[in-house]
Amino acid sequence: MIVALLLLIPFITALALMFLRPTQQAKNVALISTLASLGVVLFAWSAYTGGTVIHYNMDWVPSWGLRFVMGYDGVGLLMLILTAMVFPFIIAAGYGEKLQHPSLVNALLLFTQTFLFGVFLAQNTLLFYIFYELSLIPVFFFLLYWGGEHRRAITVKFFIYTLLGGLSLLFGIIYCLGQGEGFNGDFATIGSLNIPTSVQIWLFWVLFLAFAIKLPIFPFHSWQPDTYAMAPLQGTMVLGAVMLKMGLYGIIKIVLPIVPQGVVHWQETVILLALIGAIYGGIIAFRQSDLKRLIAFSSLSHVGLLCAGLFAWNSYGVSGSLYQAFAHALLVVCMLYISGAMKERVGSSEMGAMGGLKVRTPRLAALFLLVLANAVALPLTQSFVGEWLMFAGLWQVNGGLALAAVSTIVLGAIYMLFAYQRVMLGPDKWALEMTDATTRDHFVLVPLIAITLFLGVYPGPILELVDVPVQQLLSSLSLN
Amino acid sequence: MSALVLISVLGVVLLYLGLFGNRDLLAPVGIIGLLTAFVFFAADWRLESPLFGGLVQFDSYARSFSLVLIVVTVLLFLFGIDYYAKVRENVAEQYALMLFSLIGGLLITSFSNLIVLFLGIEILSIPLYILAGGKRDSFRSGEAAFKYFVQGSFASGFLLLGLALLYGSTASFDLAAIAAHAATIGTGTDMLFLLGLFFTIAGVAFKVAAVPFHFWSPDVYEGAPTLVTAFMSTVVKTAAFAAFYRLIAHMQLPEAVHTMLIVMTICTLFLGNIVALRQTHFKRLMAYSSIAHTGFLLLAFLGFDARTADVLLYYLGTYALATVGLFIVLTLAKRAAKGDEHIHIFRGLFRSSPWLAIVTMLLLLSLAGIPLTAGFVAKYRVFVLSLANGYLLTTAFAVVMALVGIYYYVIVIREAFTPGERGLRLVVAPLNWLVISLCGIAVLALGVMPGLLRM
Repeated sequence: MIVALLLLIPFITALALMFLRPTQQAKNVALISTLASLGVVLFAWSAYTGGTVIHYNMDWVPSWGLRFVMGYDGVGLLMLILTAMVFPFIIAAGYGEKLQHPSLVNALLLFTQTFLFGVFLAQNTLLFYIFYELSLIPVFFFLLYWGGEHRRAITVKFFIYTLLGGLSLLFGIIYCLGQGEGFNGDFATIGSLNIPTSVQIWLFWVLFLAFAIKLPIFPFHSWQPDTYAMAPLQGTMVLGAVMLKMGLYGIIKIVLPIVPQGVVHWQETVILLALIGAIYGGIIAFRQSDLKRLIAFSSLSHVGLLCAGLFAWNSYGVSGSLYQAFAHALLVVCMLYISGAMKERVGSSEMGAMGGLKVRTPRLAALFLLVLANAVALPLTQSFVGEWLMFAGLWQVNGGLALAAVSTIVLGAIYMLFAYQRVMLGPDKWALEMTDATTRDHFVLVPLIAITLFLGVYPGPILELVDVPVQQLLSSLSLN
Repeated sequence: MSALVLISVLGVVLLYLGLFGNRDLLAPVGIIGLLTAFVFFAADWRLESPLFGGLVQFDSYARSFSLVLIVVTVLLFLFGIDYYAKVRENVAEQYALMLFSLIGGLLITSFSNLIVLFLGIEILSIPLYILAGGKRDSFRSGEAAFKYFVQGSFASGFLLLGLALLYGSTASFDLAAIAAHAATIGTGTDMLFLLGLFFTIAGVAFKVAAVPFHFWSPDVYEGAPTLVTAFMSTVVKTAAFAAFYRLIAHMQLPEAVHTMLIVMTICTLFLGNIVALRQTHFKRLMAYSSIAHTGFLLLAFLGFDARTADVLLYYLGTYALATVGLFIVLTLAKRAAKGDEHIHIFRGLFRSSPWLAIVTMLLLLSLAGIPLTAGFVAKYRVFVLSLANGYLLTTAFAVVMALVGIYYYVIVIREAFTPGERGLRLVVAPLNWLVISLCGIAVLALGVMPGLLRM
């Protein structure tokens, strides 16, 4: 029931929006739909008692390993909560945007949400792949129609880049399906795969490539900054807050269980690449003059850290990475929302054109500061918990790597505070009247900040959710 | 057999109808006749029994492909009603020639004697030479017909030479006897047989436009009238592939021929996809994409097992559906753009008719092989097949080429969803709308429920 509701609520609403085109009410309808999904997910959370909950288990095309198996475990539920929690705010952010055809915009966003739910619910590798590719299509059209400058070229680059990973993943899955009788494509039967180490070493990259591009980590990131900067605000939010988490989820659900020896073999290389990306992203973020591009590169930096934490491959690292994934989703939405709010007031997101806004918009400045505290991982914020866990995890692997990881926090503090300075501080040069934070701004930012602070002080609920599956994953892998 | 006779008579009837000026009856009569033939085929009770003294073996394989061929021809006839609405002369001949060509196609899906293969391919091709030159006052149409004729004749020559050598080596035209001979050779070499097989395959490969026998296809696709192009890339291709597979399916191929097939597959995949990247005219794009799809189909050939025939049927059937729909959309857009064929003509499609744009997107996504469309399932099954038979690197290469393929289809989708400077003025006849929608829905339905199209 829960699975069906999660897939049907956004899907049917999206179809209705697409065909009925209620231009005036589109945003309200979409908001109600996402809130309903959130309600369902929270209900699922409250009813969750551990283990893997399977709701559907049917053959689709049994002859080639496609089965309709839907359900969730702790990690999947965390991702569902993340998706459901972020989307109402993404829709709400749309109230400030003056995009044409709001019903189509919201329909595409809800289609994306449907497929994202599908990705996190799928318990079969092929089904996962199908939803993974499908989620790309609404985003493709969203960017193509409502994107900024050079959108035609950038969108295609983004699409092809992501599909490169997707096809590589498909190849890997087909290869695995051909190995042995025990594996029927379900996540539950991955344990019966027994792939020789020499194969695992190359198969690792075949499977990992998809998620490395999606996240993205260092040498595969070149699609990301342009796409983030060009995409409409809501598009960037979807990409940065939720879609890249598919990469993280995929690594946990597919790469780690299928090619554990491959992971061991490449662990340090991947961590190194991820950290290079994290530091490189931080340095470039510092040089940006456009607030949205700065957020894009800061996201690159954060994601590098996430990936490094995951590949530390101990309970600290993996739990921390998952926890931080949650924090990062909320953070990205907040940051982008603020950049949108500033652009609304000033007319551009160039930081050079801003400055001195604190006098005009004191409340917004205060909210920005609170978000910033989370962004630089100040203690008592959510990011602090996640990053601390990741550093602890990395420390167990290699002290030098942990040190490199910590330096990204310093970099983060530098570019974030510098950005705040350029946007908010300085002499008041604005002659015109400027509205301070509106009700809508409060509606979006205050709950998000409240969640961030609450989970920063009391991370228990989320950590408990992922603790058991992570332990299981690690112990089952160490047995092999 | 009755269906074959029926279609032949149908062709003659259409010619007479044309002679007496009943233009409006042509397509309806043709469609009713084809549907009757469809029923005959579907209900054929003499399945598996050899016909014409063992020349033709009408088995379930042949029946499945024949049904697909007939359905696609019906779709094309439905399209023809609007397509030929403004044409004054020789409409009946065009329909009749397509039917005659179809008979050739039906023959080569069911041959069990190489003589029938040759006859079938000639019956298939000769009407096409005329059809390709269907626009008599168009220079390019004439060029297409001439090129097709010259190169087709060469291919027929190859084929004949191959058959002669095969006969020389095995003293039989019978497929089973030749397969038996191939088995006796084992690992030894029989130069005569090898060369015979080589030339025979070259002759058939010409019809499916596999590299290096593909040179005719872009020019002919571009020059021929769109309906004929659609016919060539669906009916002719499907029939030729069915024949190709029938030729080698039960034969233990000598190592050299096998290597030749692998090289052909790789070259076809590479050339088709890479050259398609540079195309800006939709028909040429479709020609190269057709070559690319030939590559994927050849990949399914490489290591054939019990599933191959089913995979081929599925791939060809869904490819034909998508292609027919796209060529109709092309015709409509081309009319609106006064004869231009550049992919820019699709600009503004979404603005002017959202439904058509969405269906076009589905069809293109299917050709590109994106999940939930039939094209994805088709490619997926091909990859599974070739991986299961141990072609790891070739499959990996094909996957990369599939990605390249996605690029040029996405470019067309992008055009369709980009607002044009001046609105696209599409006039969509209800029948065309129906056929396009049918193709789109079928592609989606077959993608979600792949079991619907099987042997």
